Amino acid sequence: MTKLAIGLIALTLPLAAAAQVESYNIDPYHTVPYWETDHVGFATMRGRFDKPTGKFSIDRAAKTGTLEIVIQTATLSTGDPERDGRARTRDEHLRTPDFFNVTEFPTLTYRSTGVKFKGDDPEVVEGNMTLLGVTKPVSLRILRWKCGPDPRTAGKRYQCGGNATGTFKRSDFGMKFGLPTAIGDEVTVWMSFYGFRT
Amino acid sequence: MENLLSNPAVHAGVAPFIAALIVVLLLQHTRLGGLAVVAAFCTAVYFVAGFTFTPLTVTRKIILLGFAAPIIGVLADFAFKPTRIGAAVLALCGAAGALWAFWPVLAQKPAVEAWLLGISTVVAIAFMVGFALLYLTGDSVRAGAAGLGLGLATGLAAILGASGSYGSYGIALGAAAGAFLLPQMIAGKKGFAGATFTLSVTLTAGLVAAGAMILAKLAWYTLLVLALVPVGACLPVPQKAPVWLQAVLLSLYSFIIGGAACALAWRFPDGITG
Repeated sequence: MTKLAIGLIALTLPLAAAAQVESYNIDPYHTVPYWETDHVGFATMRGRFDKPTGKFSIDRAAKTGTLEIVIQTATLSTGDPERDGRARTRDEHLRTPDFFNVTEFPTLTYRSTGVKFKGDDPEVVEGNMTLLGVTKPVSLRILRWKCGPDPRTAGKRYQCGGNATGTFKRSDFGMKFGLPTAIGDEVTVWMSFYGFRT
Repeated sequence: MENLLSNPAVHAGVAPFIAALIVVLLLQHTRLGGLAVVAAFCTAVYFVAGFTFTPLTVTRKIILLGFAAPIIGVLADFAFKPTRIGAAVLALCGAAGALWAFWPVLAQKPAVEAWLLGISTVVAIAFMVGFALLYLTGDSVRAGAAGLGLGLATGLAAILGASGSYGSYGIALGAAAGAFLLPQMIAGKKGFAGATFTLSVTLTAGLVAAGAMILAKLAWYTLLVLALVPVGACLPVPQKAPVWLQAVLLSLYSFIIGGAACALAWRFPDGITG
């Protein structure tokens, strides 16, 4: 009887450990990556990508996690979609090989390599961003993080949400048009994100 | 100085022109003056994108083909007599090079769009290269005027098609052709164009224009009109007119056709890629 009990405990231990890893699917409608950069030294211009997909996981006990985001680069928008008599819009220009080259590189991906925690919450996600076929490390700092029942579903759905930010040099990814003075090299990313527990 | 070197007009026009002019002045008596094209193109690439070739994107393939064209041109000039078959073979090689560069992107597009863009590219580049090799290699002023009109029109059309970097490459080719023409106009004596000049300028300009069509917003019919620019440089001019006047008239003919292409890009920008 004792052997049976030990055996059952031994069997359920890995299951208990596995249960501590929570997996989430990214909500494409409330996860919005914005980016901003200097424009001809006068102002900061902002743009965004729509409907990213991906997933993340978190193990609070082990203080580990993963994150994977896929962005369709053609969804970029800076609020200039209409030509209004011009030959091209800023959004059209941003989609060409001068910048995001969306025809040749339709996706931008981010995959984590590690997560640093502060207390029980993730603080920094270390990872690799692949843009224009070039993969470089980019860190995302979690500015805000909260998990709990989704009030929109009367608590039936469990979610985590927050904000994250990071910076990178676009020239590192081969995006050199407008350097060094017309368009800034340093790009700041700021994103809201939500994930629903699976 | 830093401001000057960061100016797009310097990247696309002034610096490539100076580089090309130096090459022309150094090499015009050696039948290698056509290397001015690659000198100007290299200068623009240096300023706009740099000499990085990984990953091997479509743009970088265009740059590599732009560098390969003068090598093949020199070989053609020094190793072979210009023949119709030779021109046809080089035209087909140019079209094959274009397919090599653009195939990965064309393969991702819907079939009808891919066929339209692919056929436009192959037809335009094969025609431009073949026509220029057949009818322009023997007359450096006509070749220079064709290159001037084709380069500048490609550059302007690419800018209208939403790509500044491709625009810079096109304008740099025009600047090279201008530098190629200038000493001839001043000296009143024609030089040597050969395949070194004509293949380099037509193939590179054709690839840049096709790139602006496939990767940016240039319409396919604009590319086909651009392909006709070298034809303008074959229109008649008074044979006894001074070289500078011939160059001006032939450049004007090229500008008219190139201008029509740019007008299409401006007024009717929405091709099938829109």
